Amino acid sequence: MGALEGLLYGLSVATLPHNLLAALAGALAGTAIGVLPGLGPVAGVALVLPLTFALEPTTGLIMMAGIFYGSMYGGSTTAILLNIPGESASVVTAIDGYRLTRKGRAGAVLAVVAVGSFVGGTLAVIGVMLAAPLLASAALLFGPSEFLALTAGGLIVLARISGGSFAAAGFACMLGVLLGTVGQEMVTGLNRFTFGNLELTEGINLVPVVVGLYGVAEILRLAEAALRQPEPVRVRLRDLFPSGEEWRRAVPSWLRGTALGFGFGLIPGPAATLSSFAAYRVEQAVSRHRAEIGQGAIEGVAGPEAANNAAATSALVPLLSLGLPFTPIAALMISAMMVQGVQPGPLLIQQHPQIFWGLIASIYIGNVMLLVLNLPLVGLWVWLLRIPVWLFVPLLLVIACIGAYSVSNSMLALWVLLGAGMLGYVLQKLEIPLAPLVVGLILGPNIEKHFREGMILAQGDLLYFLEGPISPTIWALAVLVSLAGLLRRRRAQPVPDAL
Amino acid sequence: MRPAAPLTRSAAPIARNSKKILGVTTVVENRPGGSATIGTGAVIRARPDGYTIGLGSNSSMLLQPLVNPGLGWSTAEDFTSVVKLGDLPCVLAVRADAPWRTLAEFIEHARANPRRVRASNSGLRTTPDLATHQLNRKAGTQIVSVPFTGGGGEALLALLGGRVEATVGFGPTTKGQVEAGKVRILAVFARERYELFPDAATTVESGFDVTLPTSYYVIAPKGLAPEVLARLTEASVQAVTQPDFISFAKANGYILNPITGDAVKAELTEMQAELREVLAFVQQRS
Repeated sequence: MGALEGLLYGLSVATLPHNLLAALAGALAGTAIGVLPGLGPVAGVALVLPLTFALEPTTGLIMMAGIFYGSMYGGSTTAILLNIPGESASVVTAIDGYRLTRKGRAGAVLAVVAVGSFVGGTLAVIGVMLAAPLLASAALLFGPSEFLALTAGGLIVLARISGGSFAAAGFACMLGVLLGTVGQEMVTGLNRFTFGNLELTEGINLVPVVVGLYGVAEILRLAEAALRQPEPVRVRLRDLFPSGEEWRRAVPSWLRGTALGFGFGLIPGPAATLSSFAAYRVEQAVSRHRAEIGQGAIEGVAGPEAANNAAATSALVPLLSLGLPFTPIAALMISAMMVQGVQPGPLLIQQHPQIFWGLIASIYIGNVMLLVLNLPLVGLWVWLLRIPVWLFVPLLLVIACIGAYSVSNSMLALWVLLGAGMLGYVLQKLEIPLAPLVVGLILGPNIEKHFREGMILAQGDLLYFLEGPISPTIWALAVLVSLAGLLRRRRAQPVPDAL
Repeated sequence: MRPAAPLTRSAAPIARNSKKILGVTTVVENRPGGSATIGTGAVIRARPDGYTIGLGSNSSMLLQPLVNPGLGWSTAEDFTSVVKLGDLPCVLAVRADAPWRTLAEFIEHARANPRRVRASNSGLRTTPDLATHQLNRKAGTQIVSVPFTGGGGEALLALLGGRVEATVGFGPTTKGQVEAGKVRILAVFARERYELFPDAATTVESGFDVTLPTSYYVIAPKGLAPEVLARLTEASVQAVTQPDFISFAKANGYILNPITGDAVKAELTEMQAELREVLAFVQQRS
């Protein structure tokens, strides 16, 4: 099926009433998750994951995508109004966004973000439509050696850019890879570190680990520090219209951000975060009002927000066609597909066109919904922040337990949840980033698997892993990024955690 | 994390049907892990009151106890097999541009090139892997079995990308690529023609008696009271002969074969003997 046909087909799937409802529910829940402290997008998506198992695959994934986009949006709302970035992609949004809020332009900034996300998302959907079939056939070039380079090299790059020191991120990464060795080893079925426990043979499930690290640890932190109830700015509906000058200044930034974000998204890696930082740098370099950036300039919000939205959309292409997650949320989406019996990979577009195109189309629809719904609802989201801590902390903990248990109906998940919660709390105190741990847990077994498969395929010839143009190129890039990071250490601005 | 096999999802339509038939709600509990031995073990160890039944495969019921002693069951005598659902036969596929048109031609090439012909499959000691070894045993070839761990899709991809010469997998995974004209089925591992690929020759008609399928059964603990077993058998047979279950099974490439009682036990015993032979052959080879 051609790209345009595909997208039209996708729209027909995504506009089925139950799919629209799933997108709406996801967008609303996601925004609430993004706004509420203590429940970032990662833990939020992890918590609703078990709910999606009961839905058919396409609907479940559409809902997850809705939550993902909603939470990104909610995250930028708190970043702008309160200077609390809900997730790492909106860290840069807080810089200029919050300063503009202090200048009384909160409403206009929110509108610029919403429209910018919409523009970024829309253009990216068109781009994906054109690029997806090409990339899906390119993915056929990937065998065990290329996948090994991509997973192992990608993990090294991620540790390099995750913030904190290389050592701290590398430590988290190794911890994740080690946890990933628990369970039945993939090739021969040997049980490792299971201590005779049959449930452990399945390995350590991602969901309780993620909910523990990002959710329970955050709940512990909230309990520890009597949370200061933030007093958000009131935003009235008529404040939501940016001035003519603000529109004019936003448009070129949106376009630059979109192009940049789209490109970043196609490279396997933590695209949304990277692209928002890169877009901010670009605005600092080329914007006509670059002197104002950092002091409260609309460009500093418009560029990064359009970029991270475009990246989040185009990132679906490598995610779906290679099946490799480089962010905790992507990992969760892959695991949801696996549970549904859907194998991500180059065959996905052919074998499950309804999933691929339905998801792309639903993202588009989700963007429209966020635009239409969220601007008038800003007041409601802000009100959510006034829910007393003593009420929602116990509630979150209960939801976390139910969510973790229902993934595999096993008590083991609750112990993992508890352990991961305490681990996450300690790691945060030590300023060790969590994302490499989660991605290591997912990619670790992949690295081993591709290595072993390659060894079987090449019948023991190690040089096989350096054959062909692709693997050596990826390895070279990974080494280059790591070294470049080391050399530029002093100047480098760390990317905060919580991808 | 592995994709759920299609038949594990068949528990849902069976449960829906048994509600119609028995008038009680069946709760489906998915217990993944340990090569499906966690779920199978939970059923086998349950109280034999007829209220706990499960879905087992020849892999979890027969093969796993051979490679993994100490599971608590070892032969078909250790549990009750209520009804067989059906078989999912393996298929051998090559790229559409490969020179071999028949299984005989492929085998001849494999004989002339020992350890140079590779066949990918969805994992070590899965039915396609064992079927490949069984073919080696019967045909005197040395086809290298290349297990991939991410399911049949990856094994198929290795074929499409030209990393292996053939793949042994299941029909539903392969069908899309056959229809797209990318791969060709050389043989179906069965005695009779397969509805999914009616034009493909079977192994048996090509002269190789290799028919190991993946088979699924409704199982219960050992020692059910006779009247409980009778009621359960009747209800299960009804559940798997309903039109909606039949269409579900056909859509997923299963050959339905709802045999019960001693017929199932005899088949299981025979199948385990064959599995034991193949395993011995593999161990002696390696």
